[in-house]
Amino acid sequence: MTNTATTPSGQPLGISHKPSRTEAMFDAFKAENKPAFIGYLPYGFPNPDVSLDALRTMVEHGVDAVEIGLPYSDPVMDGPVIQAASQIALNNGESIHGVFKAVETVAKAGGVPLIMSYWNLIYHYGVERFARDFENAGGAGLITPDLIPDEAGEWIEASDRHGLDRIFLVSPDSADERLEVVSRNARGFVYAAARMGVTGERSTIDASPEALVERTRKAGARNVCVGIGVSTPEQGAKVGAYADGVIVGSALVHTLLNNDDRTAKDPAEGLKDLAAKAESLADGIHNAR
Amino acid sequence: MSVLDELVAGALEDQQARERVVSLDDVRKAALAAPAPIDAKRWLKRADGIPVIAEIKRASPSKGHLSDIPDPAALAREYEAGGAGAISVLTEGRRFLGSLDDLDKVRAAVHIPVLRKDFIVTDYQVFEARAHGADLVLLIVAALDDAKLRHLLDLAHELGMTVLVETHTREEIERAIAAGARVIGINARNLKDLKVDVNKYNELAANLPDDVIRVAESGVFGAVEVEDYGRAGADAVLVGEGVATASDHELAVERLVKAGARVKASETTPLSEHQGPYWGQFGGRYVPEALITALDELERVYDEAKADPEFHKEFMTLQQRYVGRPSPLTEAPRFAELVKEKTGLDARIFLKREDLNHTGAHKINNALGQALLVKRMGKTRVIAETGAGQHGVATATVCAMLGLKCRIYMGQIDARRQALNVARMRMLGAEVVEVTLGDRILKDAINEALRDWVTNVKDTHYLLGTVAGPHPFPAMVRDFQKIIGEEAKEQLKDWYGIDHPDAICACVGGGSNAIGIMNAFLDDERVNLYGYEAGGNGPESGRHAIRFAPGTGQLGMFQGAKSYLLETDEGQTLDTYSISAGLDYASVGPEHAWLKDIGRVNYSWATDDEAMNAFRDLSQTEGIIPAIESSHAVAGAYKAAADLKAKGYDKAVMIVNISGRGDKDMATAGKWFGYLTDEQAAALDVTGAHGNTVA
Repeated sequence: MTNTATTPSGQPLGISHKPSRTEAMFDAFKAENKPAFIGYLPYGFPNPDVSLDALRTMVEHGVDAVEIGLPYSDPVMDGPVIQAASQIALNNGESIHGVFKAVETVAKAGGVPLIMSYWNLIYHYGVERFARDFENAGGAGLITPDLIPDEAGEWIEASDRHGLDRIFLVSPDSADERLEVVSRNARGFVYAAARMGVTGERSTIDASPEALVERTRKAGARNVCVGIGVSTPEQGAKVGAYADGVIVGSALVHTLLNNDDRTAKDPAEGLKDLAAKAESLADGIHNAR
Repeated sequence: MSVLDELVAGALEDQQARERVVSLDDVRKAALAAPAPIDAKRWLKRADGIPVIAEIKRASPSKGHLSDIPDPAALAREYEAGGAGAISVLTEGRRFLGSLDDLDKVRAAVHIPVLRKDFIVTDYQVFEARAHGADLVLLIVAALDDAKLRHLLDLAHELGMTVLVETHTREEIERAIAAGARVIGINARNLKDLKVDVNKYNELAANLPDDVIRVAESGVFGAVEVEDYGRAGADAVLVGEGVATASDHELAVERLVKAGARVKASETTPLSEHQGPYWGQFGGRYVPEALITALDELERVYDEAKADPEFHKEFMTLQQRYVGRPSPLTEAPRFAELVKEKTGLDARIFLKREDLNHTGAHKINNALGQALLVKRMGKTRVIAETGAGQHGVATATVCAMLGLKCRIYMGQIDARRQALNVARMRMLGAEVVEVTLGDRILKDAINEALRDWVTNVKDTHYLLGTVAGPHPFPAMVRDFQKIIGEEAKEQLKDWYGIDHPDAICACVGGGSNAIGIMNAFLDDERVNLYGYEAGGNGPESGRHAIRFAPGTGQLGMFQGAKSYLLETDEGQTLDTYSISAGLDYASVGPEHAWLKDIGRVNYSWATDDEAMNAFRDLSQTEGIIPAIESSHAVAGAYKAAADLKAKGYDKAVMIVNISGRGDKDMATAGKWFGYLTDEQAAALDVTGAHGNTVA
């Protein structure tokens, strides 16, 4: 029950009511009738220093909001590419304490900093402490792949106090009442999974995400972004035609891995490939409509 | 002058001004003529929730302006829609910017009790509250002397109102009780210096008489405080800023109401009938949203099956004719002699023989139950994880019998140390997938099974093997396993004429066999319950799977549930080690975490050495070779006997759950005890059949 959420005079913080940076970004894109490009990269991959360069590179080459992943030993929503990248990061000394530097890096480069984390990492760090440090670093919101709104009491409270976005996921199998629960409790946007399953590139995207986006909007969500399985500019354009934002993960991570998909590429070469991939995806996504 | 003195003086001045317009006599008449008040006490305490008193609050001296609230009636209606138990209206005008006009509007808008919150020190104010339709008034002990407090309480009670008596100290609580208070509010905020101290409630609440309604006041902001106060014993909570300044007031109240309901549900008794999803603070559903629809379906189908006599009949018929239940309860006199030699306790020891089930372990009880549910759900494909291979074999077995497609995930290291079980599963027609990611043990097999499930949830059931994971698994698996204890209890009576055991010993990995044998005895306090974790090389070695000893497990969320967890400073899951693959798990079922916290089960551990010695002891005294997992329970029998002796028992009846048989472990044991020639051991090394050393 320790309360670190206090004002300098010792009063508890109230609800922040700070406007959502993510929503402001979507509003700006909507005014231009464009979708936003959200790119994912695990913090600490391939090592803490290079990952900061990589995050900056992404923003400089067309990524609007960056989903900074926190590597976790047991990532049940991630496919082999992100698992490999996370493992490399953990082996190279990744620590949650460093992620706030990554948040600052993204903010300084002009991107909207989001963190994607499995819940135990945040819980263990301290939910209130995380919210405070994340806010201080200039963070905008947190994506929680294994935290549903029903279990999120502590996070809802902390995010309210610190004006942070709460991004929950929905999937094509989610019942309408689940879409409503998620939409009511979300802030910033709702993350719609393009298909049932874990992260990873796919050669085709079927029609189900469009229906899911439609259903999620009907359930009350203001902004709905589509991720999981989007890997090419063409797919980005297809999804960007109807989604408020397009989320790309594995395809970007992939540019920093060698062909064995298990080891990290030489950084200079990797960053060049990352920049090129980000640019081509941004081109496809931003010109989707 | 303290802040409180100032507020009281101001309120009094304002009251006197009003009295110059409306006389005391008129306000008394208006109070008596007002529609009858609601009996608020009935709204402030309930078995299934923690009522929320939601406050109309514009400002406070400590925080200044909070919210404009142009339409208090609309706000009150939103609170009511969110499930508030009562509405508190601040009528103090100077610092809180409230008014009696607010009270009138709120009273007209809602059908739930309304509290007038002000600095009440005169009869006039009490009559006034009633005249404006209040069902409750607030009296602050710190602002009143004993005589005045008693007088105002009596007056409010005479008018049919409920009084929330606000206290800050033990002394004030005693004064409130002496004055006849029936609803006591503990203000966690110290009004003298305005600091909030939420923990104060824990100390003070212990002092309240049982028949008094306890309200936690102030310091309540969101679900966290409601949960903390609820667990500390508060009947109701009063919330101001957390709901008044929320952007969606209805949702904000609803969240608090849900948090309260969850606390109440997590504490229901009897212990043996607890259904989840929360055991105390443990359990829940920490899983991707993609699985929620499937978990809901599973819960629904299971609830239907539970109520369906046909389902029970089919299950029990198969248990008898296919599995071979009931499994015997065998007395072990020669082993008991050994225990007596070592501990001095004259014990009769009985073994619950789950090793004699078809497939050689207790795992089949649950596999069979869930497979029948798969048929009910109309799914066609089953996936499962396995560590030692016992659950994988049990699952492959029932899938073969019922014609279900089956895939078993097994960590590569486990698959090597249990190579024979891999062959058994394949023999039974299952596909065995060796997991080469992560640490390549049980937890990684579960991760991979979860990924499969997230992808194929439409036609696939995840047949989880233990009392862990997201709701409804912990309760459901427990229900399928509790037959172990129910049989043992009956057999002890019918076969041996013993009314009840003094102690139960079981090993605890995820915890399904332990829950299975303990459930029938959870509410019988005469029975001492002992659970033994895998001690590996001992708690200090860092090579173990002990979650409950001091300095080992911490609170965390893992693979779907909140429980104790072996994790690093960063919250990353730690590698675990045990000679027994089946106990080699970083977390433990949430019901066990709860039973540990409430002190019902005594958890300890047995090291590899202790378990292997027990393995040999039981084999050579009774001719029964236990699984290495179960050997931890056998080793525990010595420890439990010593504990019973220390507690003053000279004689005792003990049941040890032999959850599985040791045939699968002969390679490991043969090498451990040097029963094999070098050549024989080398031949086993080639396959890595006993390979804890396999990389």
